[in-house]
Amino acid sequence: MVAMRLSPFFLIAGLSLILGCSPSPKQSSTPVIRMAIAQAPLNLDPRYATDAASERVNRLLYQRLVEFDASYQVIPSLADWQMVSPQHYQFTLKQQAIFHDGQTLTAHDVKATYESLLALRDAPHRAEFAHIARIEVQNNQTVSFFLSKEDKHFVEKLIIGILPKSRLAQGHDFSHAPIGSGPVKFVRWPSALTLARVRDGQQITLTEVKDPTVRVLKLVRGEVDLLQGDLPPELVKYLQTNPDITVKTNQGTNFSYLGLNMQDPVLSNLNVRKAIAHAIDRQAIIQQVMVDNTRLAGAILPPEHYAGNAGLPAYAYRPQLAKQLLEQAGIQLPLKLVYKTSTDAQRVRFATILQAQMAPAGIDLDIRSLDWGTFFEDVKQGHFQLYGLTWVGIKTPEIYLKAFGSQYIPPQGFNRGRFHDATVDALLANENWPAVTQRIHQQLPYIPLWYEGQFAAYRQTVKYYSPKSDGNWDGLATLE
Amino acid sequence: MHLFKRLFSVIPVVFGVLLLTFLLIHLVPGDPVEVMLGESASTSDSEALREELGLNQPLVVQFGHYLNKLAHGDLGQSIHTKTPIIELIKARYPATVQLAVVALCLGVLIGVPMGIYAALHAGHWQDFVITLISVRLSAMPAFWLGPLLMLLFAVWLGWLPVSGMDHHASIILPALTLGLGLSAILTRMTRTSLLEVLNDDYIRTARAKGLSERTVILRHALRAALLPIITIVGLQMGSLLAGTVITETIFSWDGIGRLLVESIEKRDYPVTQACVLIVALSYVLINLVTDIVYQVADPRMRHA
Repeated sequence: MVAMRLSPFFLIAGLSLILGCSPSPKQSSTPVIRMAIAQAPLNLDPRYATDAASERVNRLLYQRLVEFDASYQVIPSLADWQMVSPQHYQFTLKQQAIFHDGQTLTAHDVKATYESLLALRDAPHRAEFAHIARIEVQNNQTVSFFLSKEDKHFVEKLIIGILPKSRLAQGHDFSHAPIGSGPVKFVRWPSALTLARVRDGQQITLTEVKDPTVRVLKLVRGEVDLLQGDLPPELVKYLQTNPDITVKTNQGTNFSYLGLNMQDPVLSNLNVRKAIAHAIDRQAIIQQVMVDNTRLAGAILPPEHYAGNAGLPAYAYRPQLAKQLLEQAGIQLPLKLVYKTSTDAQRVRFATILQAQMAPAGIDLDIRSLDWGTFFEDVKQGHFQLYGLTWVGIKTPEIYLKAFGSQYIPPQGFNRGRFHDATVDALLANENWPAVTQRIHQQLPYIPLWYEGQFAAYRQTVKYYSPKSDGNWDGLATLE
Repeated sequence: MHLFKRLFSVIPVVFGVLLLTFLLIHLVPGDPVEVMLGESASTSDSEALREELGLNQPLVVQFGHYLNKLAHGDLGQSIHTKTPIIELIKARYPATVQLAVVALCLGVLIGVPMGIYAALHAGHWQDFVITLISVRLSAMPAFWLGPLLMLLFAVWLGWLPVSGMDHHASIILPALTLGLGLSAILTRMTRTSLLEVLNDDYIRTARAKGLSERTVILRHALRAALLPIITIVGLQMGSLLAGTVITETIFSWDGIGRLLVESIEKRDYPVTQACVLIVALSYVLINLVTDIVYQVADPRMRHA
């Protein structure tokens, strides 16, 4: 009978414990703007950073020599430039910039940054600058880059954040305590990353919350003020019904596609690839399960890009035509294909939709959902028939060379489909982008899907924030 | 003597763990150099870095270097963050221990009394209700129970934070998510174990001697029924210390389980290796502690 008395005691004690620990009320009274993000930055040293979160934070922390305009043309940022010769570029700092530790940014810092990058043997960006023969400082405002070989796209690559020379010499840990000259400075990073705007001291915290449902619950409860991207559409729609939350959407430029293995005996047949393209109802997927402002894609770079091609005809959803194409190719139906994807819920959902859409065309899609590491390794190794991925933050048409050039097969590039086409190689060499995109669209080494719409959701405590087309967080520098 | 033998037996186990972890990491598809340098790196750069890191040496030599570094307390550094792994472990492991201990306490505090209550009312409606609840709880996965608790206690009632580690109350929901599942197991185990003991002769004798029901249950029956419960608690504690990946992920709890999964996803091999080692050592340690507690609880074990 003792237990009869014990159990209620423990239950009441437990309840008291819970009630006694009630946290602060729903609305935050702090001036800090709190943003929940799906993935925390891994490394805030711009020489090492490659993940999207680090790149986005580094855009706020550091200034770069050049930037891109709305049509993705390279424009001066910290410096104007002049091509003295195809192997000599001279940069002149436009205005005085100050590092967050109070030092003035000079041409010596530019030289030190790029030289230190070249000296790092384990830096992923080093290969892009391997052809820098030497860097010379003319004066505090002017620096010259001398190349060992001609590179038409050299200026576009100079988007590494500039670091202070003196700190580089001291071996400062920029990965965890960055010092830049951007609009936002580093404050601390125990678990949440805290930044402060230089102009008004406004603090911003970035907290990693992996689970999308939990990010939404935190926004609804008022534990965070702002979310951007990385939510399934149904959660975005749920937030749109909440009167306390504002949801803004914008056209995106991140390109989703279906990769095909061109070395596969079945997929090397153009009719089969066309059949797959005609077996996907992309418009229906966009309307039913995508965020607003998602649009059909024809090529990696969007139509508004200077190397974009708005004239590429879409492959319409025509399952009967797809079936005919397969029969013309001598394929015995149903055609069994393996589609590899990650374990991300949204990706798996797309896979099941594709599976249902392709069935009437006589394609039996076998879905393999793998953990990200294994999936990506399989893609790089060419162990796939079909896979789904997204290109994020692509700015320059050089991507066509690295993704479709026959000499850029992994591990030396991004030609994961092992596409070999002499015509494309010749067009790439001439940088004839309309013809390149046209030829790729005809040959279908991949099936273009869509540019996913961008969105941001925020509470009333936040004003003047709008999502950017590539999903960057530049708006944090200006929001109120 | 037994304890000394038991301690000694830990050494080959730990060595086996080290060897197995090392081999498994090297068998996983992928290349640390490619992870570091990305897909644009030239072959010569990759080879140079591979040589610098000693990755082109025979596995036996690499394992020797690994053991040597380990003996000096050097677990290496993360490929991505460049943080010394020992710092990552120091930052993450206490959080896991904290969550595990609170979850275990909740599990024991809820599960054992419920099990006793059910045993004392075996065959009655109270027993049926408790069994039903415990079956339900053990069938609820953390990825479902966690958000449900968040919705109830954080969003609707507003009593607790949704997730994170900022507030002292932040631990309650993740601990409850883990503790409720554990309590279900303990309820059933306590009930079964106690029912077996309650029918023994010595309990009947104790009652016949006129001892109070409280004394009979707590001092005689429960003590004898404790051994299987200790086993379950030990095993569960081992699992909890290994990191409860889903719960830590859902509640943004910066523990070792989350670190392990993140490192696997990002192919951060040295971190994965270190995490597996820590997890394995935790299991070994908990098993050792369970053995010792066994001997305290049951003197017969000392001579077994």
